[in-house]
Amino acid sequence: MSEFQVTARKGKWIVLLVITLVTAGLLSPWASPHPDGLERVAKDHGFIDQAGAVHEWAPIPDYEVAGIPWTAVRVGLAGVIGAGIMAAVLWVSIKGLSSRRGKANAQSHGDGEGRL
Amino acid sequence: MHIPDGFLDAKAWMTTTAVGAAAVAYSLNKTKLGISSSKQVPMVALIGSFVFAAQMINFPIAGATSGHFLGGALTSILFGPWIGTIVMAAVLIIQALVFQDGGITVLGANILCTGFIGCFVGYGVYKAGMKLFGGKGRIFITFIASWLSIVAASAGVALLLAWSGTFELGLALKAMVGWHMLIGIGEGVITTLVAGYLLERSKAQVKGAALQ
Repeated sequence: MSEFQVTARKGKWIVLLVITLVTAGLLSPWASPHPDGLERVAKDHGFIDQAGAVHEWAPIPDYEVAGIPWTAVRVGLAGVIGAGIMAAVLWVSIKGLSSRRGKANAQSHGDGEGRL
Repeated sequence: MHIPDGFLDAKAWMTTTAVGAAAVAYSLNKTKLGISSSKQVPMVALIGSFVFAAQMINFPIAGATSGHFLGGALTSILFGPWIGTIVMAAVLIIQALVFQDGGITVLGANILCTGFIGCFVGYGVYKAGMKLFGGKGRIFITFIASWLSIVAASAGVALLLAWSGTFELGLALKAMVGWHMLIGIGEGVITTLVAGYLLERSKAQVKGAALQ
């Protein structure tokens, strides 16, 4: 059986980064405004009105940065900010997890290569 | 398929909050042991960022309805289901807190359905398929695995809606699974393209084969 691994080639990851930024910043304003699957079901079966938000303090509600006159910019900027927050949060938390593991391994004599 | 606040009753959201928190805690613990090198950290961060961006793109399907990518199958095929669950939980938490997309009381439910269920179904079907066909037909297996991950996640949401008394079980399953069988095609296409681009034949395996 052939095994596959995630590529280590930098070029491919840079391409993914560019795709991510273009998707978040440029494509997002042109997403379909139609309700998604769950919203469609809720509308068709009369429970969409049960939806409500328990918090009103989200800084960028509905993926639109306030105070900008152009919708495409409001949405695109929200997308880029969100993509940035995502990368930062995951980087810090996964890094934190793996370095704690590194220390634990240094104390005991390691449990070999951690494989997924 | 983000459940908003109000769709689930108190017993359902409280239970799913507790179970969802436990699933995330366990996944964090597993991830701590599973990260194979620090090189993976930026890769996982970038995939999370991609999943977030791709989830913004609702694509029209039929009947004035849209769907969007979820990403549980993709992250799990690339990095395993534990890291997959962490990535999906992070996406859902940020969407709920920063963008008011998906409720707060139902965060646990969303993490369980689109995160945990999506990741493990996607990963399980992919691994089983790869084993069954000896690594052949990877594109087809990836497509089916990611399609099933969406269908399973939608069935999970339907079960929770029915348990909450929002919706009758049979009807909920039929409606949710019906729409997500269509939306899952989009999931399958995106997952197949991205996983196909980022996965390559393992060097260790090639070496191992040469030694045998």
